[in-house]
Amino acid sequence: MYEEPYKWVEAVGNRRQYLDEQFKQGSPVVGLAYDSGIVLLTVSKGTPKLYEIYDRLALAGMGHPADLEKLRFNLLEMAHVEGFNRSPSDVTGSRMVKYGIAPVIKQAFEEVFKAPFIIKILLAELGQKAGKETFLVINYDGTFEEGSHCAVLAANKTVEQEMIKSLRAEPANLSLEQSVGAALRAWALGDRLQRQAAEADGDRERETSVDASSVDVSKLYAHLRETVAEKTIECAVLDRTQAGSSKYRAVTTDELGRFLPKDVQASLS
Amino acid sequence: MGMQGDFFQLLKAQGYQFGAAGSAGHDQEFTTATTILAFKYLDGVLVAGDRRATAGNMVMYDRTDKVLEIDRHSVMAIAGVPATAYEMVRILEHSFKYYRRTQLQELSFEGKLRAVSKLLKENVAAALAGTGAVAPIFAGYDFEQESAKIYFYDILGAEFEGVEYAVSGSGSPTIRGILHYVNTWGDKPLSAMTEEESTVQALRLLTSAAEFDSATGGINREANLYPVIKLITAKGIKTLPEVDLKNRFEASVSRHG
Repeated sequence: MYEEPYKWVEAVGNRRQYLDEQFKQGSPVVGLAYDSGIVLLTVSKGTPKLYEIYDRLALAGMGHPADLEKLRFNLLEMAHVEGFNRSPSDVTGSRMVKYGIAPVIKQAFEEVFKAPFIIKILLAELGQKAGKETFLVINYDGTFEEGSHCAVLAANKTVEQEMIKSLRAEPANLSLEQSVGAALRAWALGDRLQRQAAEADGDRERETSVDASSVDVSKLYAHLRETVAEKTIECAVLDRTQAGSSKYRAVTTDELGRFLPKDVQASLS
Repeated sequence: MGMQGDFFQLLKAQGYQFGAAGSAGHDQEFTTATTILAFKYLDGVLVAGDRRATAGNMVMYDRTDKVLEIDRHSVMAIAGVPATAYEMVRILEHSFKYYRRTQLQELSFEGKLRAVSKLLKENVAAALAGTGAVAPIFAGYDFEQESAKIYFYDILGAEFEGVEYAVSGSGSPTIRGILHYVNTWGDKPLSAMTEEESTVQALRLLTSAAEFDSATGGINREANLYPVIKLITAKGIKTLPEVDLKNRFEASVSRHG
């Protein structure tokens, strides 16, 4: 049935449509560099979405938990074998993505007889020096983008761009406390835009409208108050100042309470 | 492999070999060492080791680090063939991290002990062939039992708990007797000693070992060369800086000013 090229292209197109639909209800993920590392933040219903991969590598995912687990194990095996056989310095995000999971995701996406990975991945890498942080974002079709300073995962490109815009508007060299606040606001913006898009009808779903009220801070806090109550704020850091070779640390609920800026705390209480 | 969190099995599945026997040449001298020791003190466990590596009567290196951190709460002190010992430490370090990252929880202290024993058993052929014998001390904080613990091993992988202290290496017979004496008839038992008292005790013990064992390196103040001493408590591992060791050595160990 897919022997003819145009049918294969059509099947891949259908698959893209199917996958886009799957992410509409997903919780966005934010990665942001701060003065001594990287903060990763999302809001989840209980299933973790942030993971340690290697000494300076962390993973965040959006999509199906079983697919995230499969790819997480692929990354863990690859990183640890490489780190043991060569050196921990040779375990870089770029190599893990380019020669590791991106080809696997692409292959699964194009094999139209098999189920694709319902997954978007953000791999954060703490640089050896400050300011050398790297973010790699892999889409469900295996395409990936490399960037610095910040990266996000969201339901569609428009939402991602707005979230990035809000993160870039923040001052440079934020403290951990400030970066957690900024990440939370970016998450609220992304989630709000996704919900607006989902509520809109068919054609307008693709064109997420962003007006001034979408980025209004008080409205973002109100949105947080509504959505976070029955969920968990999940936050982790790759902290350059942490003793030992492993730089990953999950931020505990108590710590998070202390890190949240007062204005955010007030809106969540 | 990932589901079990077993890094060593993963390595083996990829063709990695550990502990293969080799035949030693008749005149071949292998690099060995050592005096290592561990004892329980007031706050946890102290682990110390001299810095010398020798091959026969040749001093190969005088700045060897024989007390190695495996993770945030465990340390392995190595005695024997360094090539094998360092490889074991690398495997263990990766194994514990791999387990934590795959299983999303720390490997239990007992699990860590089994991992050390398993590696030594894999290494039996090399140990008996004379090319890879290692007799380590493994110490760490056991969160289930809420106490710091010491274990020592023979080259075949047999595991023994050092209830109060443990020693290994060529200089160990000298200090084993001293430890017994101090712990039994000293002013206070080792387990009641403060951090400073136990550090002084470790410096004195290693200095005594160096006095009678040529394969144990002593303290060389001119070269600013002091043993490696690490303290394990529930908070983690603390490596004593050389400046502290120097001050304590000069105040309470040296008899020649």
